[in-house]
Amino acid sequence: MAGQIAVGRSPSNSWAYYVWIAGLGLLALLGLYSFTQQLTQGHQVTGLSDAAPWGLYISGFVFFVGASAGATIIGLMIHAFGRQDYAPLGTRAILVGLLSLVGAVLFITVDVGSIPRMINLPWIWRNPTSMFMYTSLTYYLFGLLLLGELYYTIKVNRGIATSGDKKRAKWLAIAAVPFALVVVHAPHGALFAVVKAREFWNNPLLPPHFAVVALVSGTAIMLLVALVTSALNGRQLVRKETLSHMGALLAFFIALAGFLDFFDWIVFSYSGKTVGNEAWKFLTNSHLPFSAIHVGGYIVAFLILLFARGRGLGWLAVASIVAIAAVAAYRYNLTTLGVAVPLFGFLPNEEYVPTWPELSLALGIVAAVVLAYSVLVKVLPVEEQASPASRSSPT
Amino acid sequence: MARYGMVIDLERCQGCRACMEACKVENNTPESVFWMQVYRLEEGTYPATKLSFLPRPCQHCDDAPCVKVCPVQARYKRDDGLVATDWDKCIGCRYCAVACPYGVNFFNWRDPKEHQYLDHHDKDIVAMTNGVSPSYANPDLDRTMKDGRRTAGGSHLESVMGKCTFCVHRVEEGRQPACVENCPANALHFGDLDDPRSGVAKLLAREPSFRLKEDMNTHPKVHYIGQPPPAPDARQIEAVKGRT
Repeated sequence: MAGQIAVGRSPSNSWAYYVWIAGLGLLALLGLYSFTQQLTQGHQVTGLSDAAPWGLYISGFVFFVGASAGATIIGLMIHAFGRQDYAPLGTRAILVGLLSLVGAVLFITVDVGSIPRMINLPWIWRNPTSMFMYTSLTYYLFGLLLLGELYYTIKVNRGIATSGDKKRAKWLAIAAVPFALVVVHAPHGALFAVVKAREFWNNPLLPPHFAVVALVSGTAIMLLVALVTSALNGRQLVRKETLSHMGALLAFFIALAGFLDFFDWIVFSYSGKTVGNEAWKFLTNSHLPFSAIHVGGYIVAFLILLFARGRGLGWLAVASIVAIAAVAAYRYNLTTLGVAVPLFGFLPNEEYVPTWPELSLALGIVAAVVLAYSVLVKVLPVEEQASPASRSSPT
Repeated sequence: MARYGMVIDLERCQGCRACMEACKVENNTPESVFWMQVYRLEEGTYPATKLSFLPRPCQHCDDAPCVKVCPVQARYKRDDGLVATDWDKCIGCRYCAVACPYGVNFFNWRDPKEHQYLDHHDKDIVAMTNGVSPSYANPDLDRTMKDGRRTAGGSHLESVMGKCTFCVHRVEEGRQPACVENCPANALHFGDLDDPRSGVAKLLAREPSFRLKEDMNTHPKVHYIGQPPPAPDARQIEAVKGRT
């Protein structure tokens, strides 16, 4: 039993682990260096401009908020649908959710001009008509919810939870899903959708679209976490049937996101709006690589999950990586294209290209989040003291 | 209470850009930042082309999208209708720049003090002024306005948003905005849109007018008379270096 708990707790203590940690640490330090450059020289070190005021940082921010919201699906499977075979992933999903939220806040922090002033938001300075004010409030609330869930789940994992603690862990996990998707992430879609100056965003379907894409990224990340953890530990964290079920869920969410994308473009192209044609030019020219990763990624991941889900765990890993990349490309295209189309027809298109300091800072934030996960998953009791083999089968 | 607005006579405008220059001198805006912008436009196909000009200050919308989205109410509408930016509150998120349909917001991407047209550290300038570097800040622009907030553009803080203020510091003293005062063709008019005796109200009562992007329902307080809006095939010529 002790050996099984240890396996569930952490990857091995091999030199590879420390190399991994050191590599992530170096990338995080590189990001920190770029951040100091930005602090001392101003945002001029980025590729942003007055014509394209939002770019890579906002894309990263939206991606991580989505990942945070999407990861809550695991808690729902365990506590609402009784899928105890998902339990070894439960605490890990909370960690992913919490750290993704931290990543999102880091991205918005490096994006704004004045960090000390931002701290006043929303407690001291607030505007009730601003979606940004509203979303900033949700970070605190969602963070608290996830911290509470983590606290009670760890008590359960340590075997010191009372029946009240178990109930709290369960209901917090169930509440986290609607809270994450409806209260936290859909308003991020609204943050873009309410901007009537940018026709590319000004779409009432954008908030639910955001929620669906969040489920794609959250499920894909958790599937990858399960596969990588299993590979590192040399044994299955969850059973193959569970992984296959996650793959089926991911395929469903990808299909739903693709469906929304498809009809989004159909409606857009029939709208006769000039901006639709302009955006299409971007998508098929300078943004073609991102469009290809977005659309092609969805198709490839979906086909893998549909036809090769049962042929080996490697295919599942490929599908989840491709799906994560597709969501990242979608977020990037959405953010940057919205501001790329000029506000007046007589103005030139504004091409935004991220600079090296911007890229390295974004990479540093991603590395810091993965680093924090890699360490926390080692020091926290992330699994209940029970053998995966003894878990009940799905009903 | 007045509801200040501007009427721009496109028939009179010669595209000389004196208003842009006056705005820069008055508001001390950093390099490549033009709170007042005059687009020089060409329409039609050669040889049947037409030249037109479109001055574009902040539209000071009655239903300003920037005011709605600003998370901290740094962007707000004053009682006199001017849409102002509180320099001491802006967090620099640039949501106003994203939400504005007219592109009138300018973020200070770098330290404005070091990016003026005049290099305050240039050794020749320092020598000419006997070692006393010319003053960067204009104290008149740095003071608080009547509503107790610092909204005139003088301080130009780094990482904070700026835009046309309709020269709020002058308006509060009963003067005209610098662009209006310096227009050689008298193409720009400023006043209380709600006062039927004001020049702007009389012009609007007499002449057909349009506003930019009326379909956005932002209700801009900048009205254009004298010429129709730019044609859909209009393209910019002789763009000013810097932000267009």
